[in-house]
Amino acid sequence: MKIPGPRIGVYVCHCGLNIAGVINVKEVVEYAKKLPNVVVSRDYVFMCSAPGQNLIKEDIEKEKLDRVVVAACSPSMHEPTFRAALEDGGLNPYLLEMVNIREHSSWVHSKEKEAATEKAKDLIRMAVMRASLLEPLEKIKTPVENKVLVIGGGISGLRAALDLAERGFFVHLVERSPVLGGKTPRISLVRGGKSGREILAPILEKISSSEKIRLHLNSEVKSVDGSIGSFKVKVLKRPRFVNERCNLCGKCEEVCPIEVENEFEFGLNKRKAIFLPYKGSYPEIYAIDQEVCTKCGECVKVCEPGAINLEEAEEEFNLEVGAIIVAAGHDYYEPPKGEYSYGLSSKVITTLQLERLLSDDGPTGGELIVDGERPESVAFIHCVGSLGTTPSSKEYCSRMCCYASLKNALRIKKKYPKTKVFVLHKDIRTYGLDEDIYWDSLEEFVRFLRFEDPPLVRVKDGKLEIEVFEVNLQERLLIPVDLVVLSVGMVSPRGLDELSSILKISCGPEAFLKEAHLKLRPVESLSDGIFLAGSVTGPKDVIESIISGSAAASKAAGVVSKEEVEVEPIVAEVNEDLCSGCGICVSLCPYGAISIKEKEGKRLAEVDPMKCKGCGSCAASCPSGAMQQKHFKDRQIMAEIVSLREVMV
Amino acid sequence: MSFEPKILVFACNWCSYNAMDLAGTSRIQYPPNVRVIRVMCSSRVSPEMVLLALSNGADGVLITGCHPGDCHYVSGNYATLRRFKLLKKLLKELGLEKRVELEWFSASEGEKFAKYITEFVERIRRLGPLELSEE
Amino acid sequence: MSEKKAKIALYWCASCGGCEEAILDLAEKILELVEKADIVFWPVALDFKKEDLEKLPDGSIDVSFINGAIRLSEHEEMVKLLRRKSKLIVSFGSCSHLGGIPGLANLWNKKEIFKCVYEEKTVENPEGVVPLERARVDEGVLELPSFWNSVKALDQVIDVDYYIPGCAPPPNVVEKAIEVLFSGELPRKGTVLAGNRALCYECPLNETKPEEISIEEIKRFHELELDPERCYLDQGVICMGPVTRGGCDALCIKGGMPCTGCFGPLDDVKDYGGRGIAFLSSIIRGEKEEEIESVLEKIPDPMIFYLYSLPKSLIWRRAMREWKGDDVE
Repeated sequence: MKIPGPRIGVYVCHCGLNIAGVINVKEVVEYAKKLPNVVVSRDYVFMCSAPGQNLIKEDIEKEKLDRVVVAACSPSMHEPTFRAALEDGGLNPYLLEMVNIREHSSWVHSKEKEAATEKAKDLIRMAVMRASLLEPLEKIKTPVENKVLVIGGGISGLRAALDLAERGFFVHLVERSPVLGGKTPRISLVRGGKSGREILAPILEKISSSEKIRLHLNSEVKSVDGSIGSFKVKVLKRPRFVNERCNLCGKCEEVCPIEVENEFEFGLNKRKAIFLPYKGSYPEIYAIDQEVCTKCGECVKVCEPGAINLEEAEEEFNLEVGAIIVAAGHDYYEPPKGEYSYGLSSKVITTLQLERLLSDDGPTGGELIVDGERPESVAFIHCVGSLGTTPSSKEYCSRMCCYASLKNALRIKKKYPKTKVFVLHKDIRTYGLDEDIYWDSLEEFVRFLRFEDPPLVRVKDGKLEIEVFEVNLQERLLIPVDLVVLSVGMVSPRGLDELSSILKISCGPEAFLKEAHLKLRPVESLSDGIFLAGSVTGPKDVIESIISGSAAASKAAGVVSKEEVEVEPIVAEVNEDLCSGCGICVSLCPYGAISIKEKEGKRLAEVDPMKCKGCGSCAASCPSGAMQQKHFKDRQIMAEIVSLREVMV
Repeated sequence: MSFEPKILVFACNWCSYNAMDLAGTSRIQYPPNVRVIRVMCSSRVSPEMVLLALSNGADGVLITGCHPGDCHYVSGNYATLRRFKLLKKLLKELGLEKRVELEWFSASEGEKFAKYITEFVERIRRLGPLELSEE
Repeated sequence: MSEKKAKIALYWCASCGGCEEAILDLAEKILELVEKADIVFWPVALDFKKEDLEKLPDGSIDVSFINGAIRLSEHEEMVKLLRRKSKLIVSFGSCSHLGGIPGLANLWNKKEIFKCVYEEKTVENPEGVVPLERARVDEGVLELPSFWNSVKALDQVIDVDYYIPGCAPPPNVVEKAIEVLFSGELPRKGTVLAGNRALCYECPLNETKPEEISIEEIKRFHELELDPERCYLDQGVICMGPVTRGGCDALCIKGGMPCTGCFGPLDDVKDYGGRGIAFLSSIIRGEKEEEIESVLEKIPDPMIFYLYSLPKSLIWRRAMREWKGDDVE
């Protein structure tokens, strides 16, 4: 369709003397008059001022302009200003082209006035040729579903869900284990004084009584489609096999023939295939581990309330939400067998196992008994799996492990004052207000030994011996101990790879999820509408995880509190008459916005304008020119390129 | 012999265009031989555009974008790098390899841009105007 | 009353003869052609001379099919003559359409070519004899056409009305094109008489592509057992299907060969090789320079992207060192 015209107005700004002091503005205005399709060419002292903008608006009406070129400062400064002026004047805001003759000409070629003027002419000519081909565009609007999906029922996910519910938004909370709480219930002493369970209790109470939160336990997200404002999520719910009729009598547990490692106790003891996740859990009901259960049916026989149904099937269901918060948590570094003799002696344990031993509700009732014996000497080794200490270690610091081990060192000292406690460390990073714990430890005669090369832990006749080169003494020490506790770091959780590709958000180099920008856009992922909370973005302790959950909730609320969401229209689009379905474009899109659909038995590419962020990579690779990016179409850019040379007027 | 080369620079909206702006606000001077085309991401630049520039008056072409890992669109600059590498291989066969470069600039590297472009202009000046000899 | 028969001419410039064969490949259909038209000029098959052509009134030939690239002054002369004498000029085959394989000679100039052929690679030429444009011999003056520095496609020398692409154009394409030309309803001038989408659209292996296609290692097709039921690009072999105009019914693909691009680019594409580089480099993996370079090393010669189309591309020949600048390219 041939547009009659176009009729272009060119406006050259003086910007006071900023431009006019170097560039011969009058000469440029005269030159622009001669360019194809230019019907008006003016200059003004400050185009961004009200009278300057009025010049444009009046000309749009009087001269029936349908394209505007403004030669002035950088578009990053005033493109929105002039776009608004066009809109005010009745013209589509995308019919504007700005030319940068200040930052890119007068300010950087101030001694070469002639050359700067020639450059301005060239740039304006290129812009006029491009402007002739610009097309009106409308912002893409889409209605927002005012529900939020929270993935992960740990402390940060729970905090986020509660914050949102309290603001009046409906939350679907999907958790893959049979209970809420994540890692927190396993920690008996959290920074600040309470146990993990004490911190969780009030939160769990509010959540269980909230009408705005729907819990989906034993469930995992299988696929996510759509984009901000309208995500379509497929969830798979695995059967728990036990329902609310369970009266916690425990008879089923007694008769169950299958025994596996108890992950709640970090492998310190065993549990059955049918088990109660932990006392005081929410919900406090037994569950069957589907992966090891043989369905022998012994438990059914002894269940009086009839709470067990081994025929319970998997369920798949769909959710529609406007925003997603990923609070998938973390795991801990598992030292490979042999590292510090871990796995070669039962007297080498991790801080997490120690945490459970010191817990009242742990396998030893809070008594420090390892393998039937109470150790008289304990050595903590720090930075296990961190700071690149050993070949299989990560490079980063997990920030909370120094605190965790010193806290437990003090607990041991307080409970068993005669126990010798050593802490072998690289640096001590009990940061911020927790510096005190270091001094408290010193006062309790915890012995600190500093190393650079990792200490060696040897097992000799069932006894442990540590060899370490102490950096301050510059001496090699040999220390026999009864118990070695490895202070392990945090790692990204199992299955994060899969989740990140389902959500199409990326992990950073350390395998945690990547935030859009640490300072400018925290708790946001690079996909609009998907937020990240808690330790899934990197090591955090309980308090930091709670804060980050609230931050993510706040941002998610910002999305779902709106009626509509607007998206820039500078998106890619496929010419279906030209597309051959070759599929080259699909793998290039970082947002998964392009898919292959079938039309009349043939493959064709399709762009989801809601997911497209407008980079143009697909358009650059399209071998037939079928894929174009609006506002940056091949012919628009090429018109600029071709007019590097003078055009025939 | 005085020959003023014309250099076409493709700048990405988020990093390199802002680096050029910064050179401007800092009043760092550089040769006036540069003409800029702004795109949203360096990955919008196709090899065809570079060839079009070389055959339409550009004596040299500079593609600029964000540093690897910093692309506003996650992986755009990696696509640019791959295309550029193959383009260079081709340009070598056509005798034009030294006239096209790819360089990364973050938004804060205004001075780096000015310095780089000054050297680039000089380099192209020494190569002479691009001429595909006619019959 | 007999219908007046159309007059057609066929001519070859710098050509291998394959396009002439393509006419013969029409097999029995050639008889239909002969029924419809009178061949007034076809040097390769019938004994016509230049004078016969000159004698024809201007515009009296209805369609002239010209194949082969323009390399010599004689080619230029003859095609200009044919242009005067014809109503429609049809560019037949890749050489005429895009420059073809002879177009690759644009990586050198006349001096270098002559040196290679007559001084270096020739069997024995101790006296250094090279062709001359004029030579006086006892019998008189001998003239040879002049040899240009660069190869050109037909439409870079004369005005062309239609194009029949291919190296050589396959029978189905030629048949359809002839039908269209004699149908009385001519398409827009400049139309390439073949498909309007890239080859992948009609390729039987297109549906075997995974949704996200990505190549880990480029393979030359002698390095693997090519699976004839799976997209060749997906197997790592360079196939020009995505960037090449379709309409050939994917004959090469069906014959176990990847596409080499003889039908040339689609209408919206300014530079075939440019788009070819774009699509191939977009689907290889690699984020570090060394990784990318080692994958690209497997491409034997970047000119595979301009196998048929160098003279018609944006950079249509190698830049020769004429400028007395300080630096060497």
